[in-house]
Amino acid sequence: MIAQQTLNGLVLGGVYALFALGFTLIFGIHRIMNMAHGAVFMAGAFVGLYTVRLGMPIWVALPVAMVGAGLVSIFVEVIAFKPLRKLALADAELASVISSIGASLIILSVGQYVSKTETMRFPFGTVSVDAIVVMGLRVTMLQLLMLGVALGMVVLLAYYLYRTPQGRQIRAVAGNYRAAQLLGVNPNAIFYQTFFLSGALAGAAGVMVGLAFNSIQFMMGEPFLLKAFVAIILGGLGSIPGALVGGLVLGLLQSLSGAYLEPTLVDAMIFSLLFVILMVRPDGLFVQSLPESATKRV
Amino acid sequence: MMDLIAPHLPLLDLIFIGTGYALSQAIVFRAGTFSVATSGFAALGAYCTAILTVKAGWHPAMGVLCGTLLGLFAGLLLSAPLARLRGVYQAIASLAFVEILVALILFFEDLTGGPLGFHNIPRAVTPWILFFAMVATMALLIVLSKGGIGRAFDAMRQDTPVAASLGVNPTKYHVLSFALSGAIAGLFGGLDALRNFSLDAHQFGFSILIATLSAVVLGGRRAVWGPLVGVTILVLLPEIFRPLAQYRQAVYGLLLVLVMAFLPFGVYDTIAMKLHSRRLARAGMLKPKAGS
Repeated sequence: MIAQQTLNGLVLGGVYALFALGFTLIFGIHRIMNMAHGAVFMAGAFVGLYTVRLGMPIWVALPVAMVGAGLVSIFVEVIAFKPLRKLALADAELASVISSIGASLIILSVGQYVSKTETMRFPFGTVSVDAIVVMGLRVTMLQLLMLGVALGMVVLLAYYLYRTPQGRQIRAVAGNYRAAQLLGVNPNAIFYQTFFLSGALAGAAGVMVGLAFNSIQFMMGEPFLLKAFVAIILGGLGSIPGALVGGLVLGLLQSLSGAYLEPTLVDAMIFSLLFVILMVRPDGLFVQSLPESATKRV
Repeated sequence: MMDLIAPHLPLLDLIFIGTGYALSQAIVFRAGTFSVATSGFAALGAYCTAILTVKAGWHPAMGVLCGTLLGLFAGLLLSAPLARLRGVYQAIASLAFVEILVALILFFEDLTGGPLGFHNIPRAVTPWILFFAMVATMALLIVLSKGGIGRAFDAMRQDTPVAASLGVNPTKYHVLSFALSGAIAGLFGGLDALRNFSLDAHQFGFSILIATLSAVVLGGRRAVWGPLVGVTILVLLPEIFRPLAQYRQAVYGLLLVLVMAFLPFGVYDTIAMKLHSRRLARAGMLKPKAGS
């Protein structure tokens, strides 16, 4: 039982990690919170669902959903964040939260209009319902797919960020925006790239969650974003390995406690945990130096 | 005249209550704290009032008073942990606070009605009571903001270390702003409960939070009049342009994006700043000529 719940938790955690990675990527580079990330996630699930309904197999729908969500994410960047770059950082912080909430509401109402406020589901058999039994554990094809996608995405993202020239440029902009610009990096191209990457990760997570919980509706992103904050803060806002570990921990926590406790109580516990982490280690588990959040106004 | 107003009285109620929430949100912004805890305080006030009035049979006024005190108390409690954080971290922590409350309200079903909501609350407030509550709150805040407290808040928002070096005690004013915010939100939460017949925990988690934030940002977060302007625009806009009412969410979203891009300080504050600098220019105090 425990082993089975651990496995389920790891699978769920992989999806949380995908979602958290996209959010933290943007924060690490732009120092802003993208509150529309949940809406982008929903858009990914929608695009995936409609592609499947057109008769495409899931391995076509997944990349299509990722590209779609990536484009929605670029839309968020263009309408919500780009106009704010002229502001001073302290003002931009509040402004970008508000205007990304605005962008999120716009995407949500498009989603509501398209879905007519219905809860939709992937057609039966989109992913084979067979399960294999390994050492007494039941592993469904869907779980294998989810684990595979999460692992694959993380490896690809790490490769892109740490082994390619584009990734080096992204890290340069994250480290020092002005210096990177002086060295000939085009910041706009970097912004579009990071928002696309972030959106694509959220889109993949959206399709996975849509498949796993068999429920796709326009508000699906909001609770996911709220919970993903735990993963993001636990690992440290802006830290990529942190988001990965945080996502897995969150998935395990939710799956293990969900097996024994009421779901609303689990929510209360998860958000209490978030509050406690913010009090004790606001910059996550992996920061050794003095936390930035305690020393200067971000 | 009354015939003209009467059908729109529910809208006035919404404006009065919404302004109360927005004032509670604006005061923490003014003191330089990026907290979104207002809807949590409002939830406490609303449920406290509803439970005391319906389940314990108290007089509604006593219920509202207790709701206000509970909000005040929650504000005091929350101010200490939030003082340790900055910027977006405060926002996330206060969001966590709101979500914990919503989850707890949903969990304690026999007390709060849980996911089904709290129903059969007597309608004990009239529009006049709401109006007076709003005016009294605004008057209190105007008096406070004209005095040293308002200046201390402004100084803290702009630069806390400098404010501290000038003799403003940041802890004291931080706690004060949260106490005010909590009490105001508790008061209007209680009034909202007595106006609305029923309560739903989910509305405090998202819709009130978004509506309040939008109103404050749209209207302006420095002057006391800003929240009133913001709420009035947000409530009336879908009514004036009837076709828009169906797309209320999208209109809210578009407004937020546009206001942030073009009027980052909100409608009221931007106009006030323009008028102020024009007055200065007319008095010859702006752009002094070289050599003068």
